[in-house]
Amino acid sequence: MTAQVERGPLRRVVIAGGGTAGWMAAAALSRLSGNGVTQIVLVESEEIGTVGVGEATIPPIKTFNAMLGIDEDEFVAATQGTFKLGIEFAGWGREGEAYLHPFGAYGADISGVKFHQIWLKLRAAGIPLPLDDFNMSATAARMGKFDRPGADPRSALSQLDYAYHFDAGLYAGFLRTYAEARGVVRHEGRIAHVRLDGESGHIAALHLDDDRVIEGDLFIDCTGFRALLIEGALGSAYEDWSHWLPCDRAVAVPCARGGPGAGPLLPYTRSTARSAGWQWRIPLQHRTGNGLVYSSRHMSEDDATATLLGNVDGEITGDPRPLRFVTGMRARPWVKNCVALGLASGFMEPLESTSIHLVQIGISKLLALLPDRSFPAHERDEYNRLTAIQWAQIRDFVILHYHANARGDSTFWRECATMPIPETLERKLALFRSTGRLFRYDDELFTDANWTAVMLGQGVMPQQHDPLADTLDQPQVRDMALRMTDAFRRTARAMPAHADFIAQHCAGRPI
Amino acid sequence: MPIERVAIIGGGLCGWLAASMLARKVPDVQIIVLSAQGEERGLGIANGGEVLLPQDIETVAATGWRGGDLLKHCSASFVLGTAMSGWRGDGMPAFVPFGEIGAPLGPVPFHQLVAVARARGHAVNIANYALGALCAQSGRFAPPRGDDASVLATLAFGLTVDTGRLRDLLRADARRQGVTEAGMWTGGADREGTTITALHTAAGDGVDTDLIVDASGADSPLAGAFEGWAQWFPFDRAITALRPARSVPPLYTDLAALADGWQAFVPLAGGVAETVVSGSAQGPDVQSFRTGRQRRAWEGNLVRIGAAAAQHDPCAGLQLHLALADAARLVALFPANRDCRAEALEYDRQWRETSDCAFDYTALRLARNGAAGPVWDALRATDLPERTQYRHDLYAGTGRVVLHDGEVFETPGWVAQFEATGILPQRADALANALPTQAITAHLGKVREAMLAGLGRLPPHATLLAEMHA
Repeated sequence: MTAQVERGPLRRVVIAGGGTAGWMAAAALSRLSGNGVTQIVLVESEEIGTVGVGEATIPPIKTFNAMLGIDEDEFVAATQGTFKLGIEFAGWGREGEAYLHPFGAYGADISGVKFHQIWLKLRAAGIPLPLDDFNMSATAARMGKFDRPGADPRSALSQLDYAYHFDAGLYAGFLRTYAEARGVVRHEGRIAHVRLDGESGHIAALHLDDDRVIEGDLFIDCTGFRALLIEGALGSAYEDWSHWLPCDRAVAVPCARGGPGAGPLLPYTRSTARSAGWQWRIPLQHRTGNGLVYSSRHMSEDDATATLLGNVDGEITGDPRPLRFVTGMRARPWVKNCVALGLASGFMEPLESTSIHLVQIGISKLLALLPDRSFPAHERDEYNRLTAIQWAQIRDFVILHYHANARGDSTFWRECATMPIPETLERKLALFRSTGRLFRYDDELFTDANWTAVMLGQGVMPQQHDPLADTLDQPQVRDMALRMTDAFRRTARAMPAHADFIAQHCAGRPI
Repeated sequence: MPIERVAIIGGGLCGWLAASMLARKVPDVQIIVLSAQGEERGLGIANGGEVLLPQDIETVAATGWRGGDLLKHCSASFVLGTAMSGWRGDGMPAFVPFGEIGAPLGPVPFHQLVAVARARGHAVNIANYALGALCAQSGRFAPPRGDDASVLATLAFGLTVDTGRLRDLLRADARRQGVTEAGMWTGGADREGTTITALHTAAGDGVDTDLIVDASGADSPLAGAFEGWAQWFPFDRAITALRPARSVPPLYTDLAALADGWQAFVPLAGGVAETVVSGSAQGPDVQSFRTGRQRRAWEGNLVRIGAAAAQHDPCAGLQLHLALADAARLVALFPANRDCRAEALEYDRQWRETSDCAFDYTALRLARNGAAGPVWDALRATDLPERTQYRHDLYAGTGRVVLHDGEVFETPGWVAQFEATGILPQRADALANALPTQAITAHLGKVREAMLAGLGRLPPHATLLAEMHA
């Protein structure tokens, strides 16, 4: 006899694990209790540390905060945050060179011809202009300036786009306050056992180590690398991508800001290529976050730690923390009545600051596809289908940084340059190399501007521009281009310095 | 080696569309048009009137002709959607508008609000919340200005065109741009390996070419491996006619399900194009056709566009749209070199996506509706491709609209078609269910009021036409 299919809204959603992912989910799902039925609970233990990945973010985080109705200044102050206009990649294409991957678009399309094609055309005609000069965020970043974008769509300032650097631990705390004020119930305790329903195989309850039992209809696994629910209880397989992204270790250390020679507060993340990986530098108000991501096949932990400690620009304020990971994703992040978010769902190195974003898009998909108690298969299938597409797109973009390098200084970089890459990326590269054409697939996160920045930054230069650009009048286009850079430059000069903007609007309390 | 010469096979609307766009976008390339057998079927079935969807009006501007020119020279007329009758099991007619339907409430899409309202006992007709439907019903319309931020901005309009006149207009334009004609193609070609180097003409002197665009329809001698769609699109006979009409053209196309097929009316200025498609028609006027698509659209240096690449059942009115999309895609990927493998791969990927989406939309209209009769019963019992069935099931379950890259219609277009064929979600999504009824009904009321206020600001369509032709 088949069991009666249960209908009706979820009675209880149980989030296993706090941390950034858990509290982001709790804050976003708190609105569900508006139906008078659904209760949101979160189980976490003070004893278990959080990994606190992704202290750098990308622009869509603004949408997430806006959806929660969070005040920006309050949030930046509470998280010791700073503003981020892009990422500087030092030594990635070849040693000694650097490029900026800024947020926002380059220039403006003219008569349906994409701006980067116009840039290529001018370059071919012997008028090489720095690409950065055509991006508002890049122009401001180079001057160390920041201001919020203007509302007038015709102004240069409206072209600015930005995200944040923040202390992920403080962000989780900030969201906890938010979520608890909206009815989310927090249980302190360790999960000792995950009990499955004998008939359906769904998760029935979490048993805590003090014998408390937390039952629920839907479970969200935010237990990090341990993946207690999705893997421990439900055995969802992990898809390993380390043949494309060989880095499998990181070591992180904070340092004080404003040491000798540290310079002004930068409005961007810096990523510096090292012999077997790369080092991040994330400027916050109260400290600077540093870390080295590397391949253990090519570098020892001692060498990695020494490289990191020898390359920070302030007094070291904590012990180096090692981290191990395997890049990849849960092939099915939603199984039965359990959805994995954050590290439990997979790991993508933070090269393009996508960790928090992956949590965010997981949550928004879950909200859009939230099931009722009958758990129809279609919602789960659609969630898994979309997740797989989104992860693979980001994966391809990250691989591009490694693959398109002309460093040749180490086995690591030589292997990356010659390794086989996914067919999807292969096709994108072939098309760009030929005529600089780019097509955005399935609403992907990264736009033409993102791909252009990294392709050209990594030294992938099209053999020629799109023939369509030849229909444009060259002197006229050149003048338009020069007017654009002029407007961006004048606008950036008039902006406040990044540190001054923060001091005036959103300074955090001294720690 | 750069591309210097392009030969276009087919001097019908499809071929001249490509010629005209290429002539303007890649002016340094020499373009030659050859006539071909069946060229008048380059879009699919030969029809006196076709529809440009709202998004097509911008695309067609790449030929140098704007909407205003089409109204003046191609007997064009404004359309705001399609009136569908006989497609729902309950016998209710429905309107599938272009443009927006209603407005979301926070993160909850409008159609989810409708699903909740209905589940809680409120009858809701979505046509009452779509300005396009209200305009079509009441015969009031003026094209919204680009900068209009009011409710009028939710209105999207398409244009019908007289296909013969549009063809003549494009031909005259392309010839002014330097496109030449080389007479009748015999069907023969010279090849080096998989590359076609020249096409044979009736006059005897062959046409040398670097790239061939086949716009001569589904029966082209250059057709390759083919995937047939007869199991989902069983109708294979069409009768079309262009009749004069003196009344003010209605603001919509009309599509009725018949016992053994369907019938469409496309209004034009001064006329109406009528199509009857079935599986049984006999007689001298009958065009028989075969639905399906080529395995590859771009093979070597041959690019098939329009019906030469894919022919759908034309019940969704997409023939001109799809050919235009092909021509625009060819322009966007026009190869700089004769070695065009990267372009060909990307073209095929995008073409297949678009073709899949158009197939899904058409197949769901034809094979998952409530029309009465044994032909329709058999179609409803046919298994659809997995991707197509998935769209149906996701919507029929909780009203989720699956969107891919190649989509012809966004969420409102899908929702309206599902409504018009009687596919309604079993339940609304969880976010919508969390809303109190009062909030939903208040929102619906507000939207309806805004739509009616917008409608009141629009002139009668007849007034607009009189002004235009004054």
